[in-house]
Amino acid sequence: MPIAEKGYAHWDGTFIERRLPWWPIARLGVRLAFKRKFFKPVFTVSLLPAVIFLAGIYMSERIEDFQFMFRGRSGNRLLAVDAAYFKTYFTVEGTLFLMVMLMVLAGASLISDDLKFNSLQLYFSRPLRKRDYWLGKMGTLFFFLLIVTLVPGLLFILFKVIFAGSFRFLADFPWIPLSVVAYSLLAAFFFACYTLLLSSLSKNRRYVSILIFLVYILSDVVYGIFNGIFHEPAFCLLSLKCNLQQVGAFLFRAALPYDVPWVYSFLVLAAVCALSGFVLKRKVRGVEVIK
Amino acid sequence: MTAVIRTQSLSKWYGNVLGLSDVTLEIEAGITGLLGPNGAGKSTFLKLITGQIKPSIGTVSLFGEPVWNNVRTFARLGFCPEQDAFYEEMTGWEFLTRLLSLQPYSAAEVAARAARALDFVELSKDKDRLIRGYSRGMRQRLKVAQAVAHDPQLIILDEPLNGLDPLGKRKVIRLIKEFKEAGKTVIVSSHVLPEIEALTRSIILLHQGKILAQGDIHYIRDLIDKHPHKISVTCADPRRLASAFLSEPSILNVQFGPAAGTVVFETRDRDAFFGRLPRFVAESGLDVEEITSPDDNLQAVFDYLTGK
Amino acid sequence: MTAGAMNIELKNIRFRYGKITALDGVDLALGEGACGLLGPNGAGKSTLLRILLGFLVPAQGEGRVLGYDIRSGQFRIRRAVGYMPEDDCLIPGMDAVTFAAYFGELSGMPRQEAMKRAHDVLFYVGLGEARYRPLETYSAGMKQRLKLAQALVHDPKLLFLDEPTSNLDPQGRTEILELIKDISSKKDIQVLVSSHILTDIESTCSRVVILNKGKVAAQGELAALKEIQYSLYELRTKGETAGFLQALKGRGCRVEETEDELLKVYMPPDMSRLEIFRTAEAGGVQIRTFVKSRTSLEDLFAETVGVD
Repeated sequence: MPIAEKGYAHWDGTFIERRLPWWPIARLGVRLAFKRKFFKPVFTVSLLPAVIFLAGIYMSERIEDFQFMFRGRSGNRLLAVDAAYFKTYFTVEGTLFLMVMLMVLAGASLISDDLKFNSLQLYFSRPLRKRDYWLGKMGTLFFFLLIVTLVPGLLFILFKVIFAGSFRFLADFPWIPLSVVAYSLLAAFFFACYTLLLSSLSKNRRYVSILIFLVYILSDVVYGIFNGIFHEPAFCLLSLKCNLQQVGAFLFRAALPYDVPWVYSFLVLAAVCALSGFVLKRKVRGVEVIK
Repeated sequence: MTAVIRTQSLSKWYGNVLGLSDVTLEIEAGITGLLGPNGAGKSTFLKLITGQIKPSIGTVSLFGEPVWNNVRTFARLGFCPEQDAFYEEMTGWEFLTRLLSLQPYSAAEVAARAARALDFVELSKDKDRLIRGYSRGMRQRLKVAQAVAHDPQLIILDEPLNGLDPLGKRKVIRLIKEFKEAGKTVIVSSHVLPEIEALTRSIILLHQGKILAQGDIHYIRDLIDKHPHKISVTCADPRRLASAFLSEPSILNVQFGPAAGTVVFETRDRDAFFGRLPRFVAESGLDVEEITSPDDNLQAVFDYLTGK
Repeated sequence: MTAGAMNIELKNIRFRYGKITALDGVDLALGEGACGLLGPNGAGKSTLLRILLGFLVPAQGEGRVLGYDIRSGQFRIRRAVGYMPEDDCLIPGMDAVTFAAYFGELSGMPRQEAMKRAHDVLFYVGLGEARYRPLETYSAGMKQRLKLAQALVHDPKLLFLDEPTSNLDPQGRTEILELIKDISSKKDIQVLVSSHILTDIESTCSRVVILNKGKVAAQGELAALKEIQYSLYELRTKGETAGFLQALKGRGCRVEETEDELLKVYMPPDMSRLEIFRTAEAGGVQIRTFVKSRTSLEDLFAETVGVD
C-alpha cells in the first residue's frame, strides 16, 4: 500500500439534496437552546401545566375515588372535561406566559447572534435559500411551542378516550382534534414570528430577551390602563395575550372573553406575523454577504 | 542624540496578568517600529508612554519629564489608536476642531490647524461630511489628522495602515516619512512586518512583556548567532560555485534549490564570503544572475527571536 | 474539467446599484492556480465577488463559474465554492467540530460525512488540538483558521479568501500564508485572494487581477506584469563604493544611489553583468545584493490605477 500523504485530502463523497434543507438549522437551534442557562428548569416547568391538566383528566374519570376532595360540591361540574377544559389549558395566562419564557430562552439569540457574530455570511455563501434559513429558525421555535401546545392537546384527547374507555368524548366534540391542531399551529406561528421579529431587531441577545418579555407584558398593561380609563373593551386588541385568548376561545367554541369580534383579534395577530416577515426580509439580507 | 522617550525598569501588571516587565529603553527622534506577537505588551507599552495608565514599577519620561498627568507633555504628543472611536454624528471638521479646542489655542488657530491637518491627510474635500459616511481609508486618515493637528513632537501610530488600500498606504507612509524629515519622533506599531520595513530600520521587538531586541534590523540580525546568514546565489552553474566554496571553513551549510539554478550558502562570516565571491566570478567568468540574503529581513529576525 | 476550460469566465459584466455603476464591463478568465484580486476601495471588488458567488445577477453580460452559469446555476456554484469572509464569524455555544460539520451539512453533505470531513479539515488548518474547545475561547489566529476550515469542509473547487491575514500577528500571518500556498499548490483548487497587503499577494499568487472604477485595469501573470528591466540592476555593496561607481560610469553605466544605500546600475546594451563583478573585484568591493530590477507590485498597482 503506498504511503498516505499528510495534508489536504479531497473528499470523494457525493452531495445530497436534502428534502428539508432547513433541518440542520432547526436542529442546531434546539441544541443551543438546551445549552442555555436556566433553559432546562424553565422547560420542565413549562411542561407542568400539561401534566396537571392530564392528571385532571384522569381524576375526572375516576371522580368517585376523589370524592374526598370535593366536600359537598358536585365533582362532575368541577372537573368536566369538555371543550372549555381544553380552552382553559391553552389560553390560561400561565400557559401563555410560559410560552413567552420559552421564547425568551430559546429564541432571543436565534437571529440576534447571527447578526452580531456575522454568521449570516457563512449561511448564505452556501446553497441555502433565505426561506430555508427562516424555516430553520421557525423550526426551532415550533419544536418547543408545539411541545407545549399540540402534543399535550393530542395527549389529552388520547388519554380522555383511554381513561373513559369509550369514544364518547370524540362523539360529543368531534371537532376538538381540529381545534387543537389549529390553535397550536396558530399560537406557535404567532409566537415564532413574534420572537424572530424581535430577535432581528438587535445584535444584543439580552436586549432581545428583555424585549420579548416586555412587549408581551406591556401590551397587556397598556390595555389595562386604557380599559381602566375609557372602559372600552375594544382596547383588548392592544394586548397580545387577550388576542390569543380571544382566538383560542373561538376555536374551542367557548364564550369569547372580550366583547370584540374574534376576527379582529386574529387580524392583529396576523399583522404581527406580517410585520415579522417584512422586517426579517430586510434585516436578513443574504446579498450583503461581502461588505 | 538626546532621547525623546526614556523608560527605566518599566513594568505593569493588571491584577496578576502580565502587561510589561522590566522595560528599560531610550527612543530617539526618527521612526521606530514596534512589533511583537499578540499579547507581547505592545498596547500596554503604548498606553504607559502616552500616560493613559500608571506603571506598577518603574518610570517613563517624555522630553525629560514624567508623563503621568503632565499636561505639558500631552500637548507635545499625538496618538493614533488602533480602534475606531469616533463620534459618528459629527463631521470630520467638527471632530477635529472640537479636539483641537482642548488645547490652549485661539479659535482662529484651531481653524487654521484643523485645515492644515486635513489638507495634510488629503481629507479637505470631505471635511463637512458626517463621519458615519466615511470609508475605512478616510477614517484612518482622520485618525492620523487628529494625531498631528496640534503639531506634536512625538507621534504614536498603532496599526496606521490597517484597512487602507495600497494607495492609501502609500499616502500614509509618505506622511510618516515627512514627519521624520521634520525632525519628529514617530513610533509605528504594526503586525505587517514588510510595512514596517518600508518605513524604518530601527525597531523594538517585544515578547512576553519584555524587550527581545532593539535597534537596527540588520545589526540585530548580525547578533543572532544561532542562525547563520543565508546567502542565495542564482547562476548558470550553481554546483560549480558550490564546490568552489565548499573548502572555505566559514561556509557552514550549502543547499540547492528550491528554484532551479539556485544555491544557498550559510555562513557566519559574510565578509569572507563576499570578499571571495567577486574574485571567483571574475576569474571563472560564471554568469551570476542574482544574489540575495533571504533571511536578512524583519520577518526572519522576528521568527528567529520569537523562536519558531 | 477539459483542458483549456477556465474556472471563471466573465464577459462584459455590468452592474449598477441604483445610479452608481459598480461594474462597467468586466471581462475575466481565470484558470487554475492562485490569483490575487486587487483594487482601491470602491473599485468593485465586493460586487464582483458577490456576482461570482451568485448573489447578484448582473445587469448585462454573462459568465460561468466552474462551468455553471452565474444566472441560472447559482446554487450549484455555491456548493462548489468556499468563502472565507473578512470579518470574524462564529456561532457561540459550539465547538469547532460542530461548527465545521454544521456548515458542511448546509453545503449539502450527508451528516456523517460532514462530521468526518470536519475533523480532517480542522487538523489540516492546525486546529486539531483545539477542535473541541468552545469557539468563544479562540484567539484571533484560531478564528481565522476556523473560517478557512469552514470554507474547505465541503471540498470546494474554488476558494475565495477575503483579507485572510487581517488582524493576525506576524506568526499568524506566516502560518495562514503557508496554508494558502499549500492549498493553491494542489492543482485542482483555484484560489482567489482579495487583499490590500501586496506582499501577501506576491508571496501566494501567480496571477493578479487589478480592478479600478468597475473595470479590469490589469490582468495576467505576476511575473509577466512586473516587467523585468533587463539592463537595470539593484545592488548593495560594502567597501569603496565611490570608486566602484566611478569605474562603472567610466564603462558607460548610469548609476544612481538612493537614500537607502541602494545602488541602481543601468548597463549599456553592450555590457554584460559579469563586468560589474570584475569592476567590483578590481576595486575590492563586496557585492552583497544583486537583483534585476522589477516593478514592484506596488508600483504596478499605482501605475494601473493611474494615481500618483
